[in-house]
Parts: sequence; C-alpha cells; structure tokens
Amino acid sequence: MSLQLLFDAMALGGIYAVAALGIALIFGVMRLVNFAHGQFIACAVFALIVPSADALAVMGLGALPAPVLIPLILLIGAGLAVAAEALVFRPMRNASPVALMVSSFALGVALQNLLLVLYGGRPKAVSLWAELGHPVRIAGASVPLLQLIVVAAVVVVLAGLALMLRKTRLGLEMRAAAEDFTMARMLGVRSNRVISAAFALSGGLAAVVALVLVAQTGVADVRMGGQIMLVAFIATVVGGMGSLSGAVAAGLGIGAASALLQAGLPAEARPFRDAFLYGGVILVLLFRPQGLFAPVGAKPRV
Amino acid sequence: MKRLALALALLAHPALAQEDLTVGFAIAKSGWMEAYDTPAATAAMIRIDEINAAGGLLGRQIKVVEADTRTDRAESAKAGLDVLDQGAEMMVVSCDYDFGAPAALVAEGEGMNSFFLCAEDVKAGIQGVGPNSFSASVLAPVQGATMAEWAHAKREARTAYVLEDTFIEYNKGICTGFNWMFPQLDGAKIVGSDTFKNDDASVASQITRIKELPDEPDVIMLCSFMPGAAAAVRQLRAAGINSLILNGSAVDGSYWLEATPDLSGFVVPVQGSIYGDDPRPEVAAFNAAYKAKTGNSPASQYAYPGYILIDLWAKAVERAGTVDGAAVTVELEKMRDEPTAFGPRSFTSELHHQNTALMQIIEITGGKPARVDEWRISQPVPLDALMNK
Repeated sequence: MSLQLLFDAMALGGIYAVAALGIALIFGVMRLVNFAHGQFIACAVFALIVPSADALAVMGLGALPAPVLIPLILLIGAGLAVAAEALVFRPMRNASPVALMVSSFALGVALQNLLLVLYGGRPKAVSLWAELGHPVRIAGASVPLLQLIVVAAVVVVLAGLALMLRKTRLGLEMRAAAEDFTMARMLGVRSNRVISAAFALSGGLAAVVALVLVAQTGVADVRMGGQIMLVAFIATVVGGMGSLSGAVAAGLGIGAASALLQAGLPAEARPFRDAFLYGGVILVLLFRPQGLFAPVGAKPRV
Repeated sequence: MKRLALALALLAHPALAQEDLTVGFAIAKSGWMEAYDTPAATAAMIRIDEINAAGGLLGRQIKVVEADTRTDRAESAKAGLDVLDQGAEMMVVSCDYDFGAPAALVAEGEGMNSFFLCAEDVKAGIQGVGPNSFSASVLAPVQGATMAEWAHAKREARTAYVLEDTFIEYNKGICTGFNWMFPQLDGAKIVGSDTFKNDDASVASQITRIKELPDEPDVIMLCSFMPGAAAAVRQLRAAGINSLILNGSAVDGSYWLEATPDLSGFVVPVQGSIYGDDPRPEVAAFNAAYKAKTGNSPASQYAYPGYILIDLWAKAVERAGTVDGAAVTVELEKMRDEPTAFGPRSFTSELHHQNTALMQIIEITGGKPARVDEWRISQPVPLDALMNK
C-alpha cells in the first residue's frame, strides 16, 4: 500500500514539478509569469495529430517512432516558446510586469483559439505508447510502467538542467540574469541569448509535460493545459518566485499532497480534495509569504 | 417547381412574407461547446426542412435565425436578446444548462417556449428556468438507473463501484440515478465509491483504492464525460482492472476509442444508435438524412435530441393552433409516451424532461461499438431522487 502510494504521489508530483520549472525559468530571467505555458503544453499535444475538425483524430507526427518523435516534439515546444518570446514578449521587454503578464494571458487565449480553429472543440483520442500503461510489480506494488518512466524522466530532466545551470556558460549566465538582470548585462551577459534560451528550455519542458500527459490519459483537449498551468503557477509561488529548486520542490510537494489527500480523506470529504490542498497552500503562504525557498534577491534589502 | 411557385406567391403578396414562423437558435457557433451544439442544431434543421417541405407549421414556413453564444455564459444572454430582436417566436438554446440558461431566461421573460438542445440536468426546465422551458434529452439519472438495472438483469452485476467525476452536474446526475437504482435490486450492493476531477492528470490513487478491494467489483459506474472519461478508462484498463465499465450517454461515439486500444466491456446507454445497427427504420432514415446534409454520420447520439425537440414542439403547436408559449406548454404537458423516431416521450406539469426512457444499449468489444440490447427502467426516477442532487 505505502509503496504504491509513494509511486502515485511521485508520478503526479513529477509532472507538476516539470511544469512549475518551466514557469520558474522564465520568471527567473524576465520577471514574467507566463500564463500561456498551459497552452504551450496543449499545442505540443495537438502537434501529434493532423489538424482537422473531424471527430476522429488521425495521428500525424504521433505515428513516428519514439526516438524521432520525442526530440521532435521537444523542438516544437521549444520553437513555439522562442517564437512567442520573439514576437510577443521581446517588443515588450521594458513594459511593466503586469503588462507582460496580461500579454501572456492574451497569448494563451490566442493559442487556444488557434487550436479550436484548427482542431475543433471536441476532445480527441491520441493513442500514444499505450503499451506503457501495463503494470509492473515492484515489491508488492503494481506500478504502471509509465509511472516509472515519468519518475525517471523527471529525475533525468532535473539532473540535466541542474548540470547545465551549474557547469555551462549559458547556465552561469542564466543564473546571473536570474539574480540581477541589469548587473548581469553590464558584466557582458547577452540578454537576448539568455532570455531566448530560457524560453526554449521552458517550451521543451512544456513538451515533456505534454508527452507524459498524453501517454497517461490518451486524449487531447484544447483546455488540457489549464489545470496543470494553475498548479504549476501555485507551485512557483509556494516555492518562492524565481527559485528553480523551490519550484521543483513545491511542484513535487503539491502533487504528492494531492495524491495523499485522495488516498487519505474520508469519502464525504474527497470531492473537496482541492479545497484541502489549496487550504494547505494558504497556510504555507501565511507563514512564509515569500515562499519556501525564496531567493536572496527577493528579499527587500535594507 | 413548388419552391418557385411559392416564391412567386410570396412576391405577389408581400404581406405573406411576414407570416413566416421564426425559430431562434441562441447556440454556440464558436468555442468548445460548438462541437456539441452544431450536431443537435443540424438535426433540428433537418426536422424543420421536413416540416417546411410538408407545407409548414400552421400553414406557415419555419424560418431560422441564429446568434452565437461563443461558449460564454454572458454572451448566451446577449444571443438570446439577439434572436429575440430578429423576431424569434420560440428559442432553441445551447446544449448545456449553464450555457443555455441565460438565453432560456430571456425567452421565459417573454413568455416564449425554450428548448435546450440536449441538457440532462433537471434544472434545464421548470426547476431552473421557468414554466415554458423544456429539454429534449433524457435526464442523466435515468441513464445511470438504466445502467444499474440492465447490468443487474443482463450481466448478473451484484457488486458495483462508483467512480464520480465531480466536475459538472451532469456527472453527479448519472451517479444519483445509479445510486438510487442499484441498491434496491435483488442482491446488489455498492461496495465502494470514489471521486476524481475531469482534468486530473492522473487517477492513480483512485485505481489503487479499487485494487485494494478484496474482490474486483462486477461493474464500475463511471460518471464522467470527455476527455476525463477516456483518460480514466485508459488508466483503469492499463492497471489491469477488467470490470464491466458503465457510463452515461455523454461518452457515446467512437471518436475517442483510440485512447484505449482494443477496449472491451464498456457500456453506454443512448437514445439511438449512430453505428448503423439501430433496429428502428426511423433512426436509420434520420442517420441517412444527417449524412446527406453534413457528409458524415452523427459523431454521437447528441444529434438526436435536436430532431426530437422540433418534432415534439411542432406537434404541440399544431394541437394548440398557436405558437404562444403558455398554450404550447399546455399541449406539451399533455404528452404521455408521445411517439418519436427515438422512442416515446412524456412531459408533465412538474417535469419538462424524461424521467424514464427506452434506451439502446451500446457495448464496446475489441474497440468496436455495437448495439446489443435495449432497456427501459421498471419505474421512473422519482422527483425526490432527481432533486436530491
């Protein structure tokens, strides 16, 4: 029972952590809360199927073998995010954070309506890697192979990102930009490059979430990114805006808490699971308004 | 030639052109609801075309005016006012209660009849709009109760597990009907229940709870709709749970079956079969007419209520001799097992909905849907059970 629960919690938390990281990365370099992130996820999902308003979905890219498909979808996610940065956010570089946030909302609505025009409003079936759903027995727990892969993929993505941030020049520049953007620019960090890279990474992470979601649920829906985006945003706030590790930890925490509440609450209280979950979030923020792992820069300096 | 003659007659007597009877469609023509409203509205047009071809209603041709709700509650009220301005004398509103009610309330304010295209919540009628509002579909609790009684009688279901998606009222309605019917059947017991939300990224915890039961339940009543229902089914089957899965009509259609390849043991109650195997010739004729008009067969059963609503309303108008809301309502409320192409329909002064209906049973086997049976619940779902959410 407990091991099973642990896997359930980690698989859900892992998805939220990757999504939260995608938002935190952009917030770190640009102070932009990208509310279009959920639509990036939806776009990456719909990229798998041929555009058509017919009820029956026809696999397009989704029919490719995994070794080709995965990098391709990651590239599409990254490309979409970079294009969004170049076309929407770059001209607004000096706008206030509120204006940026509103424009990200607008971008999200525009992308969602684009999907509606191309694919129609009906959810579509996307059978991606159905064989991954089969359960594997591990020490008495029966865990779908996909859950194991999700957990492993999250670990690989997070480790890879941590390495990149610590060991490469781009990573160094990104961390410097997240710390103090103006200062970093004065010291020779090329802002466009860093911001584009952050968007590319964020878009790639959105594509990872998209692939996991599709493999898990088997459906594509124009509204599908919304709920994950909300949880991920809350995770970045709880983790401390701008803190990458904080976003990951909080994403994992919220996913795990959600799975534990689902398992632990009495039947009458279970429909209100999310109320308990977000009640917990409020409690955390009451005690640590700056978030659990607020970066040094977020504190007011005396 | 007939059309031409009629057109000439109209030209000759401009006053006659005023005599067209106007039906207003305040429905979603954009946004996600469009995918549900358009098929039902198309079906309504088919019945309107048939009536017009047969000489019209009360000797008047039916004219259709439309306005777009854009899948937005606030826009729905505006769309209602819009079709009113265009001269609507009866209003057809969006499929879902939440999106159709604002427009239906506009109609109610004018003492006009309104019909929801396919709402299955008891509120879409007297209880939530007013005395002149109707829905053409079958109440969600009837679908749940049909599944309970049919599975008990035909599949020896004795233990059931209820998995409820708490996202919309429709889902709660399905479970309400099942929870009312199943425990009163001989030897039947609900062994557990759980909830999830349609957009949950995973239902792993819920599945873990089912797997902890001492015995796999005979049936799982899944009260959900797309896309959450397809996601839940994929995860249930992937986890190796082989219980018969029962559902409401909302998951009808083969468009989502790819989500769980080779799905078997999945049952849906519907008003008519879209798969070409409905034994009633009227249904086959409608499917052919729909295909002729749109190029495709209906994607789900939710086209049918659109045809039924115009059919029933037109009959009531003929009997009342007027389109006045109150007079037509009186005639509609006299209908007891009024025959339609998709089975008998009744309305009463308490309920403008179907609390019992002959439903076709569709079972999916090896990824292929087919009509296997039909069933009408032995007693109507009582109003108390309907209102007690």
